[in-house]
Amino acid sequence: MKLSDLKTKTVEELSRELGLNPNNKALEKFVEMGLPSKKSEAYRYFYVEKLLDNEYETLDYVPRPIKEGDRIEVVDGIVTTAPKGMRIYYEVCEQIDSDHFDPLYYLGHALYPRTIKIEVDGDAELNLLHRFTKSNALINYRIVLFNQANRHSTLYETFDAEGIENTLVMYGYDMHIAQDSSFRVFKVQTMQEQNYSMIASHKINVAKQATTMYKSFDLGGDQALQLIKIDLGERAHIDAQHLLYLNAESKRGTVSQIIHKGEHSTSNQEAKNILDGDARGIFDALIKVEETAKDTKAYQNSKAILLHEKAYMIAKPQLEIYIDELEAAHGSTTGQLDPKQLFYLQSRGISAVEARKMLVIAFANAMMETIRDSRHQELIRAEFDRVFYANAKELS
Amino acid sequence: MITLDIQNLEAKIGDKKILNGLNLQLEAGKVHAIMGPNGAGKSTLSKAIVGHYDMTILGGDIYYKGKSIIEMEAEERALEGIFLSFQHPVEIPGVNNAYFLRTALNAKRKHEGKEELNAAEFLRLMKGHLEELGMKADMISRSLNEGFSGGEKKRNEILQMLILEPDVIILDEIDSGLDIDALRAVSEGINKMKDGKRSFLVITHYSRILDYIEPDYIHVLKDGQIVKTAGPELVAQLEEEGYDGIIVNE
Repeated sequence: MKLSDLKTKTVEELSRELGLNPNNKALEKFVEMGLPSKKSEAYRYFYVEKLLDNEYETLDYVPRPIKEGDRIEVVDGIVTTAPKGMRIYYEVCEQIDSDHFDPLYYLGHALYPRTIKIEVDGDAELNLLHRFTKSNALINYRIVLFNQANRHSTLYETFDAEGIENTLVMYGYDMHIAQDSSFRVFKVQTMQEQNYSMIASHKINVAKQATTMYKSFDLGGDQALQLIKIDLGERAHIDAQHLLYLNAESKRGTVSQIIHKGEHSTSNQEAKNILDGDARGIFDALIKVEETAKDTKAYQNSKAILLHEKAYMIAKPQLEIYIDELEAAHGSTTGQLDPKQLFYLQSRGISAVEARKMLVIAFANAMMETIRDSRHQELIRAEFDRVFYANAKELS
Repeated sequence: MITLDIQNLEAKIGDKKILNGLNLQLEAGKVHAIMGPNGAGKSTLSKAIVGHYDMTILGGDIYYKGKSIIEMEAEERALEGIFLSFQHPVEIPGVNNAYFLRTALNAKRKHEGKEELNAAEFLRLMKGHLEELGMKADMISRSLNEGFSGGEKKRNEILQMLILEPDVIILDEIDSGLDIDALRAVSEGINKMKDGKRSFLVITHYSRILDYIEPDYIHVLKDGQIVKTAGPELVAQLEEEGYDGIIVNE
């Protein structure tokens, strides 16, 4: 299958060719929006066309019995393992967002109509591993996640792929964060010497007085984009933080829309970007405050450090405001490692490589230290080291 | 014994030539004070010795224990035992003070073929020195120099010196911005390092610090050259006649 072949097809043609119900709302919406190209707002900086032009093998997503394990494992789009008592089903998604900015959000739903539904029970700590094993494949799946009101849960999300080539992964969440609850997501994805690309298209709905934290740690190389739409209800809060540490010819980043719909909703979005080699980082983020969202607070900031003259950061924090009663601020800075700081460390006998590493980690530290679970903090630090030394070796 | 031998050193920063054939020898176990008017080249000299990236060496050489260091990177010079206490120590948010110091100490120990210290051993060492210098225990967990007062920064420089135990110690305006108590604590830390083997190069504008760290030699620097060298009695003469008076008399 070549996704670029879907470009000019009608709903009827697509439903016939892909074996889908012609009344599939997601398919209709996808056709209406069209396949993304370099002219699409969300994919302007990502070279999506090259990915869509590749020939991929499509997979059959046949549910199988779920084995008991410590964590949830999704292998090539199918849940294989989950902790005992975890409520996981395959269900048609009834609450697809009607106004997502990403056409591939709709294509993902259209191609995977029976989504993986996870109901988070009580106060839980979930570990979810995505594993990819197929080469030259289009792996596409969607996860719908619900938590319970007044409950406080955390999701740690990691990824694994070894020995695969030329695969495109399209996945994403529809998260429904219930009223008066809190939900924290920590995503860690290192794509070092793994030959796959990813487009992750999420929708997060934060209900009245709920709090959500979404922290992504995207490290290494390759090509990946996360597209996130977040709707905030009355007194809802989102804390979104994105750390990019890229090397080689990587192109990765975040395209997001945070929509303040409810009064007194608050958002805080921060991107820290460390770019080495020929890497390109993307932070294209809109915060929109609707007329219904009086007395909101919205803050957005992007900071980038370029470690190499060819590294490049696209930082576009944007505010779109339709009311007067609010507090809002946004900003963006791009710089390099401070030579005075580097020299200070070296003047104490610390090698140039170690001094660089200390400053790179120092830049990212504030974000890493917010992870309360020490095992996951250690995991991120270890991944950081792995990417740093892989790159240092390449440079030497 | 000569620890550091600077021969006919010429150096510039940017397009400006600052050191013009400077000659200076530091003796083991001695305190050498460099004094001189603004713009004489005092800080440039310290930068040249430690291999600062701002500097371009135009001529001459620097020998440390008989070996030329002019081509060495800054970290190699530090590992060999040369230490500069900065006039304005830089703040590095996010780098933990104790982690930084342990990394530096273990790099030096490794260089000397010694076993590295583990976290517990290092903390014991650091806490001991913190007490000696009258520093708070939160210096262990704070980011390197971030939000430190002027006095705390200077004490932190001395803490580093005590831990790293260098052989040639350059103190660039160590007294600037210090109150009497801080000056006393810093001086005590420095005096503790005097063991008859180390050399000290105290760069200062004012004689106040020399009341606390007794110099063996006073060198007057002007226009990038040492124009006069004498014993500690020169301090009183400088106080009386100023640099101009001394230099004119020469």
